[in-house]
Amino acid sequence: MAWTSQQSARLRLEMEILSRYFPSFVLKDSIIPGRAVVEGAMRSNAGHEYVVRLRVPADLPNSVPIVEIVSPVLRDRFGHPLVDLGTSYPMHLLKPENDVVRICHYSASHWSPNITFSKVLLKVRAWIEAYEGHLDSGFSVDHYLPHMEA
Amino acid sequence: MTPLVYVLEDQVQELLAHTRADEWIEGPAYAFDDWTVFHAYTEKPPFAPAGSLCRCLYTRADAAGLVDEEHLPHSLDITREPDGQPVLVLVVSRTPDGLPACQALLVTASGTTAAAAQFVPRRSELYSRNAGLLEVSALGHKRVVIVGLGSGGSPVALELARAGVGHFTLIDFDRLELGNISRHVCGVNDLGRYKTLAVRDQVLQKNPYADVTTMELNVNQALSQVEDAIGASDLLIVASDNDQSRFNLNQMSLNTNRVALYGRAITRAAGGEVLRVRPWQGPCYNCVFSAGVGQGREEEMSQKRQALSVLPAYVEEEKVNAMIQVGLSSDIMPIANMMVKLALVELSRGMETGISSVDEDLVSDFYIWANRREEAYANWPAMGYKWTHPSILRWYGARVGRDPNCMVCRTPLAAHLET
Ligand SMILES: [Zn+2]
Repeated sequence: MAWTSQQSARLRLEMEILSRYFPSFVLKDSIIPGRAVVEGAMRSNAGHEYVVRLRVPADLPNSVPIVEIVSPVLRDRFGHPLVDLGTSYPMHLLKPENDVVRICHYSASHWSPNITFSKVLLKVRAWIEAYEGHLDSGFSVDHYLPHMEA
Repeated sequence: MTPLVYVLEDQVQELLAHTRADEWIEGPAYAFDDWTVFHAYTEKPPFAPAGSLCRCLYTRADAAGLVDEEHLPHSLDITREPDGQPVLVLVVSRTPDGLPACQALLVTASGTTAAAAQFVPRRSELYSRNAGLLEVSALGHKRVVIVGLGSGGSPVALELARAGVGHFTLIDFDRLELGNISRHVCGVNDLGRYKTLAVRDQVLQKNPYADVTTMELNVNQALSQVEDAIGASDLLIVASDNDQSRFNLNQMSLNTNRVALYGRAITRAAGGEVLRVRPWQGPCYNCVFSAGVGQGREEEMSQKRQALSVLPAYVEEEKVNAMIQVGLSSDIMPIANMMVKLALVELSRGMETGISSVDEDLVSDFYIWANRREEAYANWPAMGYKWTHPSILRWYGARVGRDPNCMVCRTPLAAHLET
């Protein structure tokens, strides 16, 4: 299977938007639907760097992309790896699939093909600030970010 | 009463053409109601038959005359059935003017009784009663793809079969469960079966000559296969239960330039809506449902798999279970029926038929229906005697247009960068 022409156009568009707002993000393994990822670094207000990976869905743009924080290894305030939490409501995490932290950003019932990678990454950017807030204060990510309604 | 035997005329014609005069062949027959009604076939019918299985033998007689009891060959030994069950003997022939004829005998240990044979007419005659209302011969050549064979899609399939649509592709990967039965066209004797196959059997009950292809797969995971099926069809009907599949099907309908009809019920089937998408002419599914049209009218959750697929994984099981709130079949039927009307209008386009004038009325692409003054319709006035305000149990066509910012149907896509 290959990308359809609409999907190829959409991928080009996504990358053009990202080049403006998240210029460090690049497309990898772009030939194979289901394998393609968009990866790049994000810097928090405090100056810490996070490598974020967005898995491009094979049915782009019709389903929610999986978003993971590849590095550093994230720990909670008490030193426990976040990945061990699995699915976590207070920390806005979904069940990890690749032994790295997976962020809950848009829920399937709130997904729409109008949502671009750039909008997804904005949410991840907000999650990172909330995570650092947690490290400072002990409040969970939930305290800083509103949940998507089910 | 004289026992009654129904035989497919097409099968008898086939038998007359390909059997020697002295040959005996065996086929399945099904008995009903204390051996008073029989359905006989020369080979196993394409749908799941009902009734209790009964032995049936066919032979052909010369056109000069039909055989009777005394001429039955003793070598067949047909009276030695266990439990004393009767054996059906059907003697088929051609009348002098070439029409098929059939004589039926019911043979038991105690003797032979004559039964009345009736033909189930051939394909060309099955829908003659509809002639004039629908362009039957043309609809017989039409192909529809139906995605989702649950409480919404299954009655749509059946109604289109009744109207004479001849070709179906049924797509669903769900099996019929106990909780589906009260809202589904299939019953307990189809429990556990794929909905596609169970509905195919129901379609063949209405039109034994329909051509029904089934695909037991998840449309989100078989994109190119499903798109090929849609490309080979005249109309796409979407009665699936999740947005991801509707977004994917929307893209396929645009890619293949096939009209698509989307129907859904809202929570507890308090109401529902039907969207018609004429690709590139009117709004697409994304134009309408990404613009917040569906907000406040949450989709009905009728089973756990559906709820789990759209809810964030951290939602507790208790809440998932609480979201499964199903409505009555009678509340789903108006939505299914509206989809059928829109489908027949689309399929009859270009032909002068009895429903052509409806096309002038169905100018809207989006229709809203309320069953009860609940949920999104809670503030509607009571129906009373007025017809000048919105009320339950009436269809409303809403004016919806293309969204100039739609990321799916705006062309070219790159124009998004200008905004
Ligand atoms: Zn659109």
